[in-house]
This record gives sequence, C-alpha cells and structure tokens, in this order.
Amino acid sequence: MNHKIFIIGQLIFLILIGIAIFFIYPRVQFNLDGNNVNFKSINANVVILSANPDFSNPRFVDINDSVSFNLKPGKYYWKASNGVIESFSNEFNIDSEVGLEIIEKNDKKILQNVGNVRVNVTKTTEGRFVGHIILEPDTGEEVEDGEYTGRQNE
Amino acid sequence: MENIPGGRMSKIKIYTILSFLSVIILFISTVHALGITPGRTTVNFEQGLERTIPFSVLNNEHKKIGVIFMIQGELNRTITLFDNNVEFLPSEESKSFSYKVKLADKLEPGLHTGEVVAFELPQANAEGTYIGATVAVISQLHVYVPYPGKYVDVDLMVLDAQQNTTATFIVPVTSRGKLGIKEVRAIIDIYSALNEKIKTIETDYAPLDPGGRTELSAKWPVNVPSGNYFAKVTVFYDGESRSFEKQFGVGVNILSIESILVNDFTLGEIAKLQILVENRWSAELQNVFANLLVYNQEDQVMADVKSSTERIPSLSRKELIAYWDTAGVQEGEYDGRLVVKYDEKSAEKNLLLKIRSDSLDITGVGYAIRGKGAGGGISLTAVLLILVIILLIVNLAWFVFFRRFIGRNKKAK
Repeated sequence: MNHKIFIIGQLIFLILIGIAIFFIYPRVQFNLDGNNVNFKSINANVVILSANPDFSNPRFVDINDSVSFNLKPGKYYWKASNGVIESFSNEFNIDSEVGLEIIEKNDKKILQNVGNVRVNVTKTTEGRFVGHIILEPDTGEEVEDGEYTGRQNE
Repeated sequence: MENIPGGRMSKIKIYTILSFLSVIILFISTVHALGITPGRTTVNFEQGLERTIPFSVLNNEHKKIGVIFMIQGELNRTITLFDNNVEFLPSEESKSFSYKVKLADKLEPGLHTGEVVAFELPQANAEGTYIGATVAVISQLHVYVPYPGKYVDVDLMVLDAQQNTTATFIVPVTSRGKLGIKEVRAIIDIYSALNEKIKTIETDYAPLDPGGRTELSAKWPVNVPSGNYFAKVTVFYDGESRSFEKQFGVGVNILSIESILVNDFTLGEIAKLQILVENRWSAELQNVFANLLVYNQEDQVMADVKSSTERIPSLSRKELIAYWDTAGVQEGEYDGRLVVKYDEKSAEKNLLLKIRSDSLDITGVGYAIRGKGAGGGISLTAVLLILVIILLIVNLAWFVFFRRFIGRNKKAK
C-alpha cells in the first residue's frame, strides 16, 4: 500500500460521509405569518424550539406532516431532527404589537387591548397623569373620557 | 280607525322619529383604534452607535385618521424622527416608518429607555372642540449598558401548576455584565399563602456569555391543594447571588387537550382527526368524547363532528378518533371550537383551521411536546467531531505502520 492509495481512500471515505450527511440531513419548510409559525416536514420528525441560543429548556414539537402554532412575541431558535442527526440552528423573531381600541357604545367606553402583548396604559386628562391600567391581550376595561397611552409591559 | 287631529298626528310622528333616532344613537358604536409594531426594540450599548430602527403604525379599524409622532423618555435627545405626522385612508391598513438613534459615547450601566409615541388626532365636534377619549401607542427603545463585572436579570415562569401534575419552574437569566459567568443556578423555595415552607427545589445550571440568555428549569410534583403560593428564588452566579419573590397559582385540571393530528388530508374526502387528551385525575374518566365545531364566515356551524366515546384510565393519555367529511368545504381559514366532554363537565379550546386542497393546519391546540430524551439526535458538530477523530486515528495508525515498515526496510538493507 502506498501513500497515494491511502490518501485516495481517505478522500473517498470523506465523500461518502458527505453524501450520507446530505441525504440524512433533516429538512423542514418554515413559514412565519404574524405570530403563527408553521413547520412542514421534508424528512424531519421533530423541531426543537427554544427562546435561548443554547437551547436550554427546549420544546420538542412533533411534525408528522405539518404543524402550526402561535408563539408569544420574542426571539426564537430552532433546529430540526430526524432522530439521527440535528440540523444547524436557525432563528426567527416575532415582533410585539401594541394595539389599543376604544369602543363607545350605549354611553359606555370600553378600552380594549387588541395587540399581542400585555400593555401598561397611562391615562391623562388635560396633560395630567391620572392613573394607569394593565391590560392583557384581548381584554378590556370600562373607561371615561381622557387620553390613553399604551406601552408594552412584558 | 279612530280619527286623529292633524296637529296630534304630526306630534306622534315626531315622537316616533325621535325615539327611533335615539335607539339608533344608543346602539351606534364609535371606535378609536391604533396599533404600533414592534412594541419594543432592544439594543446593546456600543460607544457612539448609530442605527436606523423601523416601526409600523397600524390602522386596525380601516378609518380615515390622522396620527402625530412624538419622542419622549430619557433617550429623547438621541432619537430623530423622519416623519412628524401621517394621514391614513380607510384603505390603508399599515404604514412603515423609521427613526434614527445616535447613542452617546458614555452611558451609566443599566437600562436606558426612549419612546416614540403615535397619537391619534381627535376628531373635532360641530363646535370645533375636542371631547371624548383618544388613544396613543408607544414603540419603546431599550438600551442596555453592561455593568462592570458580573450581573444578571432574572425572572420566574411557572408552567402546568395543576394538581396531580408536575409543574415546571423556569428561571430565565440574562447576563447584563461585561464578564461571562462560569455557572449560574437557582434554588426555589415554595411557600404556602400562610408562609409555610412546602418544598425547596434546585434548578439545573449553565454557563452564560456576556449579553447571553439561558433558562434554568426545575420540576415540582404538585401534591398540594389548589390556591395561591409563593416562590422565593435565589439565583447564584460565580459567588454572587440575586433573590426575588413571585406569586403563582395551583389550579385543578382534570382533563387536558394535548394536540390534534391530521395526516394525509385531501379536501373533499373524509379526514381522520386524532385528538390526544390526557386524564390528569387520579381516577378513571368515563364517557369521554370530543366534539369539533367548525364555523363559516357568517359564524354558523358548518361542521359538527363527534368522536367515539372512550374510557381514559387515571393519569394517562388517550387518542380520540373523529372523522370529518370535507365534501363541499372550500379552501380558507375557519374558526372552530373543540370541546372534550367527560362526565358532566367539559374542556374546550378555540381553534383556527387553515384548509387547503392537501393540508389542514389546526392552530390553537397545544402541539405535542415530548420530553428531552425522547426526540433529537446527534448534532452535526458532533458528527464532524467524530469524523475528525476517526481520521486522526486512521492517520496515526498509518503513521505507526509506515515507520515500522521503513524501519524493517532499513534493517533488511
């Protein structure tokens, strides 16, 4: 056996390993629509999702074919797995949305949080601070005349 | 018919019209709505940093509105807006804007904030005065300046705190110091509302880079009555510590809807729905069945699907199978409600069904989450590392073999 055969042998070994990794590398199609994420499996059966780059406290989501779910605003890291190897880490961001709505009906005013995060609403009347209200998403409270300013509170 | 004099008749007409108008006015609903995204942008401090930060204002109610922008907060002098006001037409749902941030060369360690306020201009009444309620929304700018040495921001989240289940305590830790942390861990003391210590649990531990974030977790088998409890959390990091308290509630949850699975869906055919439910009670549940209601755009029930009735043994999971004939159903997004009935009670969840010709995505039900050991595989880095080690061993073996071969040849000569 000479050097050339040995080096060629190693190269063939590396190429075979590369081809094997190419075929078994777990792949998923990822779509983000607002705060709804969708994973469609190509050859993976689990998505590992975490709010931390070190994947501490991960969530293992089964994807037989396709899975959709809503997530809170924030930065997320994910990788796909097929039980043999895990893919490289990917990341996405879900933007928070601060939204306020005042519905006036039957002489009543209802202040509603129509965003996707908890808000701290400051009430001012003629430029003076009067008080504040904490509203969770999709909740509301009866209010009076005044200026209502909402800011993210989480 | 009785004769009514002309004057009285017109009075009756006026009263009728007035009462009709007042009823209409009573039911008229005026809406003021405004949104902004992102609600917060977080920046890690860099000396003299200049950055353009985008944000969007949302006209949620599709109305003709005027919006003015203002800057406030500690960082108001570092923020420059490109626009001061904007008009929205009913056809415009959102508009994108940006502002420029130029940070000073030096800021004190900690959090510094600035705010961009979008304020809906109030509509004037006939007399030209502004009355009523108005809304404004804020997009915050958070700038974190690292502390010298080691420093952490901590919080606590308690998941699945229900009787006869295992609650998960999660302590998110963010490094806000200039130095990295070799090991961060936490001890959580659980107290009753009467301040009696119930249990002490320890989290796992992790290293943390400067500016990095990790989550420490610990499990607690919930064998206490439902009610309010306190968690006293102490986070230890390289000889230093931070403590805080947080209240959490323990509830009663007998049956939980875990997930819905739909495989090989084709629109127009019969879809098989696999609804996974978990009995978290210490006794068997009888006569358990699922009822899926799908609503059309007019909010009418367009599908009412029931699964077979099952018995679920204590503390176990079971799949309820339901079949939905999708003949005549159009592609689109539909609201739905999944009700799982057991004994005389029920558990329910609101759903969103996205129906396409070859897929049915159901959002709203928790997705199946498995334990840490059940999923995953080897990371690609580990595969490459193993490969390098194999090649190293092969080459070393070859080197040893080659030296012996040369040595033998030399001796022979």
